[in-house]
Amino acid sequence: MPSIKIPTPLRVYTGNNAQVTVSGDTIRAALDDLTTQFPDLKPHLFNNSELRSFVNIFVGDEDIRFLDGLDTPVEAGDALRIIPSIAGGQNVPRRIDQTGLKVGQASTIILLLVSFILNLWPLVLFVGIAQLLGALNSPYAPFKLFYENVLKPREVVKPNLQLDNPEPHRFAMGVGAAFNFTATLALLTGAGALGWVLVWVVIALANLNFWLNFCLGCAVYYQLNKLGLPGFTRSPLS
Amino acid sequence: MHIQLPKDLRAQILAHLQSAYPNEGGGFLMGDISGDSATLIDHSPVKNSFAEAEQFHRYAMTPLEYAKHEDAADERGLTLLGWYHSHPNSPAIPSAYDLNAAVEGTGVNFLWLIAQVNDGQAVDLRAYRLRADKTGFDTLELITSD
Repeated sequence: MPSIKIPTPLRVYTGNNAQVTVSGDTIRAALDDLTTQFPDLKPHLFNNSELRSFVNIFVGDEDIRFLDGLDTPVEAGDALRIIPSIAGGQNVPRRIDQTGLKVGQASTIILLLVSFILNLWPLVLFVGIAQLLGALNSPYAPFKLFYENVLKPREVVKPNLQLDNPEPHRFAMGVGAAFNFTATLALLTGAGALGWVLVWVVIALANLNFWLNFCLGCAVYYQLNKLGLPGFTRSPLS
Repeated sequence: MHIQLPKDLRAQILAHLQSAYPNEGGGFLMGDISGDSATLIDHSPVKNSFAEAEQFHRYAMTPLEYAKHEDAADERGLTLLGWYHSHPNSPAIPSAYDLNAAVEGTGVNFLWLIAQVNDGQAVDLRAYRLRADKTGFDTLELITSD
């Protein structure tokens, strides 16, 4: 019959036995037999019916992930082994390049002002798309590409890394995008006054952020975090 | 629970973690356990198997390294009591990542020693064990002895 070597931290659940003989013709059956013999072991191996993510099962020197998983056949005399993953690591404070944000805000302000002066709804749409891509942290976000590939290499502006959460800023960009998409729709369907009001709201909030470092979208995000809404997981940095 | 750590062993562990800087280093801890007291007797440095670019904030061992060191401890009649790793330029406090690894892998019967290594110098060393309800770690008394 196959045997399973029990890792040291789990031997307390097998009566301090380091090696347990099991029956079964698959890994699943062998583990079922093991946890039938030692029920206290089960919650440390399984999360519901799934193997815990940091629990490795080996047949000899082979990880079952590279065989047939829990359906890997087992033969009499096979040496099975449960091995916990050993891993760790520090929390790394996240930093955001505030200059990149400022470039985005300035670009938004300038392009939307031009769109208003020249009555150009495509420019409103473009800014909305740019903000949406920024909100999604896309590598193709135009304002980010402009900053990283044009302004930064030429040292027109200097990076300014500060401890901050990126999620609230992305939320603010998403809200800006929503305003600009709605404005575009309004401008295309004859509701020009509504459209330009929405554009001016975005211009005003971008100016608030650019000149006074007040991000209304971020403040809303943190309020929603405080209310425990799903998806708003980041709290303000202390 | 309290942990007895001979000062020579402490010095060896910290020297190893300092040598790993600016990356995270780690290894196993072996010794004896009796009731509410554990005595650390030896350590085994183990290469960080995490992707090189991530080693400044992540440490991992391969499962086969674990197996090798557990077998060696068993043969020596020692218990694989836990493991140690470093947090470069960061407090010797378990992170969310550490907690997940403990909950999903090593469980409550495994000691965690974490060292803060600032600019190549170890400045703090603390001992932990996952709480029974797996919601966090308990800090253990770490006694450096002669």
